[in-house]
Amino acid sequence: MKRLFGLLLVVVVVFGVVASGCISGGGETTSETGTSKTTTATEKVTLTWLSTQLTPPEERAFVQQTLLKGFTDETGINVNFVPVSYTDMVTRLDAEEKTGKVTIDVVGDLHGGMDYMASKGWLMDLSGMPKLEGRTFIGTFEKYSVINGKKVYVPWMSATYVMVVNKEAFKYLPDGLTEDDVMKGTDKWTYDAFLAWAKKLKDSTGQPQVGFPAGPKGLFVRFLHGYIYPSYTGYQAKEFDSPDAVTMWNYLKELWPYVHPSSTTWDAMSDPLLKGEVLIAWDHTARIKDAITTKPDQFVVVPVPRGPKGRGFIVVLAGLAIPNNAPHKDEAWKLIDYLTKPETQIKVLEKVGFFPTVKEASGKLPEGPLKILAEGVTAQSSTSDALVAMIPNLGSKGGDFKDIYRTAFERIVLNGEDPAKVTSELKPKLIGLFTEAGVEVP
Amino acid sequence: MERRSLLPYLLILPAFAYLLFFVGYPLVQALYLAFTKNGALSLDTVRRTVNNYYFWSALKNTIALAAVIVPIQVALAVVLALLLNKAFKGRDLAIYALVIPLTISDVASGLIWYSMLSPYGFLNKFLMNIGLTSHPIYFFGYQYRTREFFVIVLSEIWRSTAIVFVMILAGLQMISKDYLEAAEVFGANYWTRLRRIVLPLLKPSIQSALIIRTLFAMQIFGVVWILAGRDVPVLAGEGFYQLMEIKDYGVASIYALVIAGLSLLLGILYVKFLKAEYLEVKT
Repeated sequence: MKRLFGLLLVVVVVFGVVASGCISGGGETTSETGTSKTTTATEKVTLTWLSTQLTPPEERAFVQQTLLKGFTDETGINVNFVPVSYTDMVTRLDAEEKTGKVTIDVVGDLHGGMDYMASKGWLMDLSGMPKLEGRTFIGTFEKYSVINGKKVYVPWMSATYVMVVNKEAFKYLPDGLTEDDVMKGTDKWTYDAFLAWAKKLKDSTGQPQVGFPAGPKGLFVRFLHGYIYPSYTGYQAKEFDSPDAVTMWNYLKELWPYVHPSSTTWDAMSDPLLKGEVLIAWDHTARIKDAITTKPDQFVVVPVPRGPKGRGFIVVLAGLAIPNNAPHKDEAWKLIDYLTKPETQIKVLEKVGFFPTVKEASGKLPEGPLKILAEGVTAQSSTSDALVAMIPNLGSKGGDFKDIYRTAFERIVLNGEDPAKVTSELKPKLIGLFTEAGVEVP
Repeated sequence: MERRSLLPYLLILPAFAYLLFFVGYPLVQALYLAFTKNGALSLDTVRRTVNNYYFWSALKNTIALAAVIVPIQVALAVVLALLLNKAFKGRDLAIYALVIPLTISDVASGLIWYSMLSPYGFLNKFLMNIGLTSHPIYFFGYQYRTREFFVIVLSEIWRSTAIVFVMILAGLQMISKDYLEAAEVFGANYWTRLRRIVLPLLKPSIQSALIIRTLFAMQIFGVVWILAGRDVPVLAGEGFYQLMEIKDYGVASIYALVIAGLSLLLGILYVKFLKAEYLEVKT
């Protein structure tokens, strides 16, 4: 019996060793031999580009089959595009920097992530690299890409969240608000005017006509912390439980009866807009792009309304950086050069709806749906009362951050709890996240 | 002698190794994630879970859904099986038709019902076209959580009653005609035969069907996610949300463990209280 048990154990262990080898070893070895072989044996270089952006299958296919093919044809450099999650990227870069065996040539990530990686000292100072000719980066983006005096990344793509209006809705504008006010984002285009409009729309059509992506995978929390919070309190989190915040929550409570009830099940607003379920919607530019490209005559993109403290909106900025000790720095720079060319940026906008970070690209925009989108975005960013919010970088705590706003919304607006009580209960947890991550409370 | 006693062990070895890697290892990992913090034993994750706003309603909803769905399904399946156990023309066709939803996944079933009942879905369009209503009836959204709950129940009954039906029909067909004929000879009417012979003999099938359905009900997720999102939070959905959106692996593990624990408990209760009785043994 003892012998039998021993035998059993040996077999299990052997199987375990073999199986685990098969499971974890495979992917790594191929990519490693791939890079080292190319550098030593032939002239051909294969860059390794890790990106947290453009990861959905369709976008990934576009990068690999269209975007990078153009680059390889032009320069003869191959690129291995590796879409990863933020956590995976940070873990891998951390390990590579610690062991001094860096295999990553380029990283593509959002501003917050770049900020974190720069603070860890993993990213190269790009100020010594040759100038990127024929493009002017948008000032704000350029400013953000310099962290602690170091040029950490090159602004790559940007995105934001906007309002889409079905032109039909302009028939029901409330008194004192004109189409021009809404299109240009004047002082009259306020959250109160928005409420009056939503009310009039429901009264006239019999249906709630405003929609938000408040489903489980929808981005409605971004509206809460990046739009309406700054507009009412001036901050995203700092004044979470202030009297101004209570006013804001009471406003949302008042607005909600005019919001389509299915909003809590919607993850993206493109479909409800196209189906005519709502006439006004707020969402990420990439998630409403379909509606505009399908029916460009029907929809316009407009700036969001303003609140007492200004017009809060989020700018999502993605950048490209080169890690310290990257194996092919010059080739990596060539890739960054290619990806930020105005022509390439237009291609990205056309395919995935991320906006260019260089001014020259706007002149190259074709007439049509994309122009509608780009004009709306430009109108929003050029409003005089703009309060730009960046998505805070809390690393792995980013989910908890969103959950706090989501919980506050559910308890206050949907469940009718007292805003002052709920926000004061949740605030310590919210501030705790920032303290733990060592990030300033925005 | 030695060789013969070795054989059974060798035969179960592949299954054992499989279980060890694909069940044992993740289970240990889940326990580790749930009950440790920075490598030391800690109840911090548990505290985080039970203090989460959605935890208790997820637990309540999961149990409520199972409590509503499973009895309806079993009752419906017994009735259907009794009806279809008789020989009649087109019986096979009827059985095929009943079993078709078995081939549909829960997500697909959710999508079918969503497109049917959404404000601009078939049902609302039909009602508005025949002039019965002027505005769509809402079935989805936080304000209509009770309706969402019943749409979920409807969708689940539609999709998964078939599996219960198949098990009970198989059980019915196993019942020897001799018992029924003997009862008839002694003058027992249909109801007596059903109550005294058919149902007691069906007990093992009903028990298996109950166990399988209840355990699946504990894992209910896809259909809820499609129809109600987080308006009606359920355990598996919250586990998924914590893992994918919040990236809190510890809390997600606890949700998984709660589902496992509940399933285990219910399984034990069923086996204990619904022990199959065999007429031969009793008499």
